[in-house]
Amino acid sequence: MLENGNTIGEPKDGILKKQGEKMTIGIPRALLYYRYQYLWKTFFTRLGCNVVISAPTSQNMLARGIALSVGECCLPVKIFMGHVASLLGRCDYILIPRFETLGKGEEFCVRFWGLPDIVHNTFPDAPILSYNLQDHKRGSEMQGFWQIGLRLGKSPAQTVAAYRRGVQEQLRQDCLVREKQELLLAASGLKVLFAAQSYLIHDGYVGAPLIRMIEEQGGVPVFADRCDPMTCRASAKTLSQDLYWTVNKEIIGAIPLTKKEVDGVLLITAFPCGTDSLVNELVLRRVRDIPIAQIVLDEQQGESGLQTRMECFMDILSERRRSHA
Amino acid sequence: MDIGSVSTKGVVVDRDGRIMACEYLWTQGDPVSATKKIIISLQKQLSARVSIESVGTTGSARRLIGAMLEADAIKNEITAHAKGTIARHPDVRTIIEIGGQDSKLILINGCVVTDYAMNTLCAAGTGAFLSSQAKRLDIPVEELGDVALRSRHPAKIAARCTVFAESDLVHKAQAGYGKEDLVAGLCHAVVLNYLNNVGKGKQILEPIVFQGGVSKNKGVVQAFREELGSDISVDADSHLMGALGAALLSRGAKRPKPFDCDIVDLHFQTGAHTCPGCANHCEIISFYRDGSLLDCWGNRCEKGLGKKENVL
Repeated sequence: MLENGNTIGEPKDGILKKQGEKMTIGIPRALLYYRYQYLWKTFFTRLGCNVVISAPTSQNMLARGIALSVGECCLPVKIFMGHVASLLGRCDYILIPRFETLGKGEEFCVRFWGLPDIVHNTFPDAPILSYNLQDHKRGSEMQGFWQIGLRLGKSPAQTVAAYRRGVQEQLRQDCLVREKQELLLAASGLKVLFAAQSYLIHDGYVGAPLIRMIEEQGGVPVFADRCDPMTCRASAKTLSQDLYWTVNKEIIGAIPLTKKEVDGVLLITAFPCGTDSLVNELVLRRVRDIPIAQIVLDEQQGESGLQTRMECFMDILSERRRSHA
Repeated sequence: MDIGSVSTKGVVVDRDGRIMACEYLWTQGDPVSATKKIIISLQKQLSARVSIESVGTTGSARRLIGAMLEADAIKNEITAHAKGTIARHPDVRTIIEIGGQDSKLILINGCVVTDYAMNTLCAAGTGAFLSSQAKRLDIPVEELGDVALRSRHPAKIAARCTVFAESDLVHKAQAGYGKEDLVAGLCHAVVLNYLNNVGKGKQILEPIVFQGGVSKNKGVVQAFREELGSDISVDADSHLMGALGAALLSRGAKRPKPFDCDIVDLHFQTGAHTCPGCANHCEIISFYRDGSLLDCWGNRCEKGLGKKENVL
């Protein structure tokens, strides 16, 4: 692995933008975009850059991503590659951060560690802009953004100010979604908690049909990634003390947190997700007091099997509510 | 109507849920024709005084046939099977269902479905696997069960995956095992495969009801009894439970006028085309009755669904 994400994928001509000409930063609408989109957009806009976000996932984009990836890659990374491909030639840099850890006892899936390398090896000429998140070692989020600013030729003061605004905006938006979800949790319909990685369930091609099916059956979808992540990480401890995958903890922590308010839980995972396969099995074995079903998505699957599963799950929830009433 | 991938089943039930007429035939890849044949047969079995007050559909073609028959209830197979079985066996706790292409496990407590499982990535251990192996051994699929029961030492056949099961079967045959031992081994392989894949991590409690096409195979029933160490009931109408459930679920619908069996004289047609609207290339199925559009589906978004530009 290359030591520092900031040094790979430098465009051959360097930063040759003329004074006054705006730099364009491309952001793939995949993986951690769903977690940091407001921080990223605000940061680059504040630095005076244009931001291009790839279009929502489509069948073409997925097909492109599959063709570009090795077979063993997980579906979300294949989708990510499709998004990167769609940004090539449309921007000066593509933002691909390297996420390792948020601190002690926290870790991201190894795919996030290697993401800039995977992209660099697939598209050797792609201009990659990256920052490392490896808190307790040598790279806080702030330092990462500071380096990006340097690389784009911005002053440290301007960079830090843009970063601060980005963080604020991300927090503000996160609060808004959480407040909306609180209202939904208080609603009366059959509530289904989607315990899924945000980049799966909010993906327009992969996750959206699931949400649509639940809504068509009269259900109210709520999302694990729209609960407070800190509270979720703490609550995940009631299921297991040993987990260190940050994103998984945030997802499954929402189950004990909301189980009094929701009618059922859908664990959504994409084949072959390593962290989900372990963590979801743990959840299926330990959570016994609420209806819970696991849906495994893959790139080959048709919709008919999904439809049957979702309909039956909703039938179980409504029968259960009727018999408890 | 229970329109499955392999077979289509139809029943007519009276007010008390008793089966008055029933029919079972192969779908042969044409659910509309199969449905018409079933309706003709059901009509022949009934007196002209019977009027059909509601219609329910289930099975993988439930939506298509539901549109065709203007069904009052269109329900997934799991709920329909549970409903039908509970009507016959109110104390059932576990339903094992093995059909032509898929297999299911339904757990029930107090007449309510509490959990279910379906085979996901692989069709191992379903009816399709058994019939292809029956062909290889040159035994009619209906006779597999009787052949298996004659076995004294079932061959041990790898059960994890059909590809391995098949090569193991060939190997055992070449090694000199008798046909009945091979077939019995195959039945055990189906059961083990089911318990390891679909039944994984689920608690199988008695009373257990076994249904679906494969339940007609006595060898598989016997293998389930041995592997689970518990009694397994197989209803005489086990292949009709989905249709029965769909019928019961449709009961109480306020249909403006009774179902008209003359529907078999109408011309139904489906047309598939790819939506040009965006990069998703959704495959849209349009369903016509005598040339006019009844329904269409397959679209991932709301855009254009059922609109003129999506009609062939």
